[in-house]
Amino acid sequence: MTAATLARQSADETPDPDTGKLGMWVFLASELLFFGGLFIAYLYGRTHFPAGWAAGSRRTDVVLGTVNTALLLTSSAAVALAVACEDDDRRRRWTARLLALTAGLGAVFLVLKGVEWHAEWHEHLVPGPAFALPVAGAQQFFALYFVMTGLHGVHMIFGVGALGGLALGRARERPWAGARQIEVAALYWHFVDAIWIFLYPLLYLVDRHG
Amino acid sequence: MAEARTPTFARERRGIALAWIALLALMLTSLGSAYLKLGPWNMVAGLVIAGIKVAIVAWLFMRLRAAGALIRLAAVAGLGTWGLLLALSGVDYATRTLTSAAVQRPQQLLPVQAASAPRHALQ
Repeated sequence: MTAATLARQSADETPDPDTGKLGMWVFLASELLFFGGLFIAYLYGRTHFPAGWAAGSRRTDVVLGTVNTALLLTSSAAVALAVACEDDDRRRRWTARLLALTAGLGAVFLVLKGVEWHAEWHEHLVPGPAFALPVAGAQQFFALYFVMTGLHGVHMIFGVGALGGLALGRARERPWAGARQIEVAALYWHFVDAIWIFLYPLLYLVDRHG
Repeated sequence: MAEARTPTFARERRGIALAWIALLALMLTSLGSAYLKLGPWNMVAGLVIAGIKVAIVAWLFMRLRAAGALIRLAAVAGLGTWGLLLALSGVDYATRTLTSAAVQRPQQLLPVQAASAPRHALQ
């Protein structure tokens, strides 16, 4: 088989439209296991040290946590709408704007998370010798809180960067910011949202009635 | 072509809007339920509501509803593998007693052991 034949064959073969999506789903499955270990550690702590978990969770900022949840849910709806607009010839001009809106909402989420962390640092809620809560298990709760929200935050930064870049690329009609790339990036964003959907009740809503 | 696609877009937009409203309503339900004294059911309610929200996100926003078998299989495989991890880790931790590590003195664990409540006492 000559090099020319090979080149002609590869030019003829257009990739299956689901290839990128399938690749992202497989990646998200591995990401689920990445976060999954932390959820199991959380479950262990909550079942073994309920008093420490309750004391820790009551010190988290439920208002900011709820606002951030609403922001992420809204951003997921915005990016889903961006994908739908990209699929429709007459709505395509909205795609870049909706992607920018999604990235913007994600950036606001990160700022609010920073505000929360700043307050928690000053309230001595970071595990260590000066930790504020004298309840066994509370330090473990906050250790997991910072690891889980930190890891989620890192994923958010990547997502904001990807969607912000795609918004710019789509507005300038760059070939790398097409429908397939946008749909794959949207899948990643929805996954990051789904992780937060579970983090919200597990970190902010433990024993609120106590 | 554009005319033929419009109803599809309108239907999808309506689905996204309804899903968004449902997600926010479920979030508020989750928040409200946390302030009711339900014992172990507080955690169950929080997780069930979160599960419903993620199902809405996956089914509508991530388009699993319209996805092919291979993509659905990848999604289920991830969830199933995590289920295995959860079950096997659970068996390990549920049957293991809290013992000190080589670097710890046994009395260091006393306050932790005292705080460790019965397994069924979920908040």
